Amino acid sequence: MKKKAIKYFLIATLLTSSVLVFANLTESGTQENTTEYKVGEAPFDKMMEVLTHKRCVNCHPSGNVPRQGEDSHLHNFDVVRGEDGHGLAGYTCNTCHTDENNDYSGVPGAPHWALAPEIMAWEGKTRVEIAQQMMDPKRNGGRSAHDIMEHLTEHELVLWAWEPGVDAEGNPREKPPVPKDEYIQAVKEWIEAGAVIPEE
Amino acid sequence: MAKKDKPKSKSRRKFLIRGGLGTLGVLALGTYVFRNPMRRMTLEMIETMVPPYSGTGTEANLWFEITTDNNLILHQPKVEMGQGTFTGLAQIVSDELDMNISQITVTAAETATGIVDGMSTGGSLSVAQLWTPLREMAATMREFIKIEGAKKMGVDASSLSTADGILSGGGKTMSYAEAIADLKEFNLPKTPELRPVKNYKNVGKPIPRIDLTPKVMGDPIFGMDVEMPDMLHATVIRPEHVGASLKSADTSNAEKMPGVVKIMKKDGWVGIIANSFAEALAAKNKVTVEWDIPKKWSDEDLKEYLKIGQGNKQITQKKGSALDEEGEGVINMEFRSPIGAHAQIEPNGAVAYVKDGKATIKLSTQVIGVTQKQVAEALGMDNEDVNVIGTYLGGGFGRRLNTAHAVKAAQMSIEVGKPVKYFFTRKEEFQNDLFRPPTHHIMRGKMNGDKLEALEHHYASGDVAMNSVIFPAAMGTILGSDVGASRGGSIMYGKIANRRSVQWHRTLPFATSWWRSLGLLANTFAIESFIDEMAINAGKNPVDFRLSMLGEEENQKRIRKVIEEAAAKGNYTDKATGNRAMGFAASIDANAPCAHVVEVSVDGNKVRVEKVTCVLDSGLIVNPDQVRAQCEGSIIMGISAALHEEMYLKDGRLFPINYGSYDMALMKHSPKEIDVHLVQGAENPLPVGEPPLGPIAAAIGNALKRITGKRLTELPMKV
Amino acid sequence: MKISFTINGEAKSVEVSDGNSPLLWAIRDGLDLKGTKFGCGKAACGACTIHVDGNAVRSCSFPAKLAEGKEITTIEGLSKDGKTHPVQQAWIDEVVPQCGYCQPGFIMATAAMLDKIPNPTDEDIDKNIINVCRCGTYYRMRKAIHRAAKMNGNTDVQ
Repeated sequence: MKKKAIKYFLIATLLTSSVLVFANLTESGTQENTTEYKVGEAPFDKMMEVLTHKRCVNCHPSGNVPRQGEDSHLHNFDVVRGEDGHGLAGYTCNTCHTDENNDYSGVPGAPHWALAPEIMAWEGKTRVEIAQQMMDPKRNGGRSAHDIMEHLTEHELVLWAWEPGVDAEGNPREKPPVPKDEYIQAVKEWIEAGAVIPEE
Repeated sequence: MAKKDKPKSKSRRKFLIRGGLGTLGVLALGTYVFRNPMRRMTLEMIETMVPPYSGTGTEANLWFEITTDNNLILHQPKVEMGQGTFTGLAQIVSDELDMNISQITVTAAETATGIVDGMSTGGSLSVAQLWTPLREMAATMREFIKIEGAKKMGVDASSLSTADGILSGGGKTMSYAEAIADLKEFNLPKTPELRPVKNYKNVGKPIPRIDLTPKVMGDPIFGMDVEMPDMLHATVIRPEHVGASLKSADTSNAEKMPGVVKIMKKDGWVGIIANSFAEALAAKNKVTVEWDIPKKWSDEDLKEYLKIGQGNKQITQKKGSALDEEGEGVINMEFRSPIGAHAQIEPNGAVAYVKDGKATIKLSTQVIGVTQKQVAEALGMDNEDVNVIGTYLGGGFGRRLNTAHAVKAAQMSIEVGKPVKYFFTRKEEFQNDLFRPPTHHIMRGKMNGDKLEALEHHYASGDVAMNSVIFPAAMGTILGSDVGASRGGSIMYGKIANRRSVQWHRTLPFATSWWRSLGLLANTFAIESFIDEMAINAGKNPVDFRLSMLGEEENQKRIRKVIEEAAAKGNYTDKATGNRAMGFAASIDANAPCAHVVEVSVDGNKVRVEKVTCVLDSGLIVNPDQVRAQCEGSIIMGISAALHEEMYLKDGRLFPINYGSYDMALMKHSPKEIDVHLVQGAENPLPVGEPPLGPIAAAIGNALKRITGKRLTELPMKV
Repeated sequence: MKISFTINGEAKSVEVSDGNSPLLWAIRDGLDLKGTKFGCGKAACGACTIHVDGNAVRSCSFPAKLAEGKEITTIEGLSKDGKTHPVQQAWIDEVVPQCGYCQPGFIMATAAMLDKIPNPTDEDIDKNIINVCRCGTYYRMRKAIHRAAKMNGNTDVQ
């Protein structure tokens, strides 16, 4: 019972990136981009610059092992996702990660620290594939576009990317290349404009 | 040295009483006669003992302390770092002194007792070194107690029997404690004949470790656990770069941090002393340091610097003639091993208190005497004014043969006038280790039919024994080679007519030193991998190939025995089955031959050691369970070195800086089966803590060759 | 800052100047419970493993302030009511420790695992027990873990 709740929560929170669903709309082509942007400046581009950054992808791995570090190596000690994305019985994510970064140890932390479910793996995928997956209710935990927007712009674990703390050597972790405000703005614009996934 | 061998006369032997401490007689053996082949080594150790600096002992070495409740505290010069020495010594004492194991506590003698090891706890020598002297001392003690008890009981000493610390005879009993109570001075009797080993009740039995309960319950027994009243906590800023020195440090911001008591700059380092360790660490982060970095070393630089043909050349084994590397039919093969870290889990550190011209230092050290000397020298004190108290060690592995940090702890204590606890962070451990040096090897062989007619091992290594505090550079000059790097470097097969090993030694830009088994691991990897390759070339079973090269001398027979036994117990076959195969290798180290059969499987790039059959000729076995534990531990540490561990240089710094990124064997890498067979090919106990590390890497490589068809020549091996 | 919690069944409080500083030091130096070890300070080796509300936590990376009001168990409090905890008993029976330094962390991690996986397979042990032991006592630890699981089973029957 508890497990279910956690799972639901997880799905709800982690998947956030999955912008939803206006897959139909896109397919039917009724949405149109009316604003013109410089290359790489479109809301979609800005958003995806963040979502494909290691701060996000490290916890959306393609296998069962999280990645870590600026070089996105497999998480040390081969820790695994476990049944619910929170690790195993002997150790959970929370054995080492708490609700906040720890400057003494360099262990990062944020509320709901966990791995995104396997169906939400981003590692090795293109921007378009990630976006499609994120907006597809079958692959995003049945979320609406609005849910996704909330997750992407409000969830503490997502926003941790802009406060990633220091690493084990005491050096600041790299932040995503787009400032937080601009990113939030971009996500909102993109979703409000119908979440159009460009062809690439 | 030879002149000092002479045993001192019996008349000078004395027992002395140590006052206070609520115990009643502390008995000391002033001098002591050694009568066995260990004599020279042991005498050398005893001769370098430091005289007691206070109390009533003047020439006394206070080993046996019988407490009022009739228990025994054995004060002896070795430390316990997991190798089980304390348990072995308790067994030895119990069988000659006739006390129950449960009555015996073993402790590392503090230097103030006068019992100071002239060398170290290392080389797997503790039980082997003390085997005869300790039995003789315990037997002498027993006789002494009998004589004194007999006087008090009014019976004849020869009518008394002894058991569990009780004298019995003539219908009376008396405890050892009572027998020697109130004695002021003692004259030791002649050392009696030692009992035949076969009559011993505890020696030879798998007695559970005597330190088991404190270690399982989490008792505060380690250097890190030491507390002193009013103690402060310290951290030191050390260079991250190889060879770097401190140029300047701005500590103004750090000084304002909470809990900071004092920041001191001295001899190129900065010490931060605070009320708590966390506060010291937080303040350390606020110090801005500028370093002078003469050269930023890379792995490529190191590979070029340390290789055969560079540095000091010394032939360490020579029989028959040398091979021409380009001669007809000569096969050459190169091997390498990386920089290895000790990675013992308890960081290095010390608690020091210097007050009124006396220093007390508590720490995990393998060299209590050296620590004392170093601190005394640095502080301008006499040795006897520095009391070093050795705790249990959270791992040794050779790392604690250097305790320069004790000096810093003492200097910081002087600065604040209080006890100071100072220890390394993990990053400092990894970047300031005294590493296992990287090595480079060329094996050269020539077959004649299906026999090896010539075999050569050329090896390059950084310092192991040379330039270490317990083995001054001058000794290296006398011996000509680094005796640590040469461990396992010779070719042990006596029937190969032409044999040679040649050492190329060079001191590296970062400190390297003793790492469990010294040169043995890498040297055996090269030699036994090459032997395997030669067997394959000759189309021979590698076990038969090895056996055919062994002669008839005593040590050859002992090597033969472990090889035959390992092949039989491990059901060795040189045929792979799918992704699974066996590997065989053998070595002899410190006169203890060892052979392993490993069963290895490969799944993708994952290598698993499924089973290890280990046969070790450990000489006389004091505690079979602990000898086994040493074999298991050596095997797992060897697997770790063979398949996982590697330090590297990048931009002048050594990496990794933590566990995890420094890949080590974990639970999942441990074989599910480790089958240890012990044979006794020598009358006395032999070193057991290192010899089983010898063959492991080669045995794994030999198995991998059969699975993958590829000869792996670099540690750690990756498929 | 004063932090109050229950540790090994007793209510305690400890003073720290920075609430973010590791709980490890509050336990070791503030409360003088030295069984919980410092190994790396980076949540990698596991020597500092304790239980917080029944879950394994690496105390070198756990801010002291988060311990407020929590139920903490350290190696010193694992055995209760004069009865040796099955994991500690199994460790004694199999003569596991060598140097002993990492052992409290392993014992605490094992106890936490057995709470959730009472009868672990070898694979469960491999995956769940990821602390570091330099002496290489893993081989005996595995045996001790299986033994502890059996002992736990017996207790349940009684």
